[in-house]
Amino acid sequence: MSSPVVAPSRIKSLFGNQQFILLLVLFAMVAFFTWRNPVFFSNAVFGNILADWSPVVLIAVGEFFVIVSGGIDLSVGSTIAISGVVSAFSMRALTANHVGQNMTLFLGLLTCVGIGILVGSINALLITKARIVPFIATLTTMGAGAGMAIVLTGGSQIGDGPAKAISLSVPDFGPLSRPGIVIVFIVAILWVIMGKNRFGRYTYAIGSNSFAARAAGINVNRHLAKVYILSSVLAGLAGFYYYLLLSVGAPTSGQGGELQAIAAVVIGGTALAGGTGKLSGTVLGALILTTVTSGLIMINVAANWKQVVVAILIAVAVLIQEFRSTGGTGSGPIRRLLTRNSK
Amino acid sequence: MTTGKVLYEVKNVSKNYGSVQALTGVSLKLHAGEVIGLVGDNGAGKSTLVKVLSGAHQPSEGVVELDGEERRWDSPHDALVAGVETLYQDSGLAPHLSVSSNVFLGREKFSKGLLGKLGFLAQKDMDRIAHENLEKVGIAVPQSNRSVSQLSGGQRQAVAIGRAVSWASKVIILDEPTNHLGARQAGEVLAVIQQAKKRGLGVIFISHTLPHVLQVTDRIVVLRLGKIVADAPTSTFDAESLLGTITGLIEK
Repeated sequence: MSSPVVAPSRIKSLFGNQQFILLLVLFAMVAFFTWRNPVFFSNAVFGNILADWSPVVLIAVGEFFVIVSGGIDLSVGSTIAISGVVSAFSMRALTANHVGQNMTLFLGLLTCVGIGILVGSINALLITKARIVPFIATLTTMGAGAGMAIVLTGGSQIGDGPAKAISLSVPDFGPLSRPGIVIVFIVAILWVIMGKNRFGRYTYAIGSNSFAARAAGINVNRHLAKVYILSSVLAGLAGFYYYLLLSVGAPTSGQGGELQAIAAVVIGGTALAGGTGKLSGTVLGALILTTVTSGLIMINVAANWKQVVVAILIAVAVLIQEFRSTGGTGSGPIRRLLTRNSK
Repeated sequence: MTTGKVLYEVKNVSKNYGSVQALTGVSLKLHAGEVIGLVGDNGAGKSTLVKVLSGAHQPSEGVVELDGEERRWDSPHDALVAGVETLYQDSGLAPHLSVSSNVFLGREKFSKGLLGKLGFLAQKDMDRIAHENLEKVGIAVPQSNRSVSQLSGGQRQAVAIGRAVSWASKVIILDEPTNHLGARQAGEVLAVIQQAKKRGLGVIFISHTLPHVLQVTDRIVVLRLGKIVADAPTSTFDAESLLGTITGLIEK
């Protein structure tokens, strides 16, 4: 299944080859880490892994839509930081003015979504109106967002918000917290949309051949704008999640998030050249990433080894893709990525 | 030659890109059930005329009429909606999508009820109808839920043409549809053109392969340096005189 497009059958789309391999890798990791440290196989550790996974899967799924459409979004990490920080400022002000905790949290959530819409709109304008290639366009918003988060906070964390926040991120649904449940729900909806809705169909079509999509009457620019806004809004939600987890808005939250998101998408078997890929793969890719991180800590491996393991996973995933799409003739996604034109 | 009413017409159309004059005073009538061959050397203005006809470009001067009504295409989509389908050279399909997704691209069928209003697709219906429609125009594609990238070059071209013919309600413009095709596949494409003609569509066939043009068209229009230099029934040409007219060795 090197070119999975329209979920042929539910079971097939869940357990197509790539997904099956990812599950095997995941189980192998869990087995390995449990063998090295039996404590790994516990609700507490799985809870930690899912707590780490929740924000990563949000930005990874946003990145998945962008990459399938033939683009890239480097701004998701800094959107986490700027939305978390701005939302923390507003929640601190609301708390100081004795606004109720639920209302404060709700407005904080809206602030994060609003920042997401703002960043996504800027990305969309740069890409569709100014015709700047996505890599450069989102590189500028990435820099601007991260810079502003530092400038606004002076580098310190913004606390003094609603005390209730911390209690929300306690796992009370098995290993999942309430925000975690919401995130699973959001991802499930996006999974259905990607496979069965016009929105997903147009995303695949534009990434596959934007000329054909335009000729067929699809408003390519408008659709791409929606895709970039979706990605940034999901990053804004991840920003709010980190606020709940830490009870502060930290300007360093989400640092390197863009690389985690891209890594999850690539490990999940999606070609960077666009037009193809499965969202379920990205979800598993994010789970593998966060499992490696927790597992290596649990077996006392120095944290920096994590990057090496992730690099190996990416390399293997890309090699599998390359081999699948060409049968080893060397004209696959890597070649296409190196030679592709901007859209 | 059986021809019906005038379906599609350009009157005195000129097009310039800055100081470059690509078309000068071109007038052309296409009748229902007629196949016109549009030929000319590179740079003769074929592509420009196709772009004007398909709605990709607007003429600098002159008018376009469909069914006797003056039309102004703001985009190829306008022309598409009005019943004018264009098959572009090579790049009309999304290779990662399935055959039926390509056939229905931009014109998807939705589920019934609320889900459909939310943009959810009736994929099974599309798979079935795409298969039926392609068969109706004489194209046998193994499975309409296979992705286009798994098809051979000839099959892809067949799908692209089948899509255009099955959607077109009035006019179909085929830009080099037999390019890169083997003899048998090209024959199938020409058969599809005959089918379209039988259904009363007007067909504009642009090609460098002169034997195909002589075989399938009713009338041949020759462009040279942005002007029409010949517009005559195909029966008045043979391979030699057609080539002579294109290159300018024969004044007609």
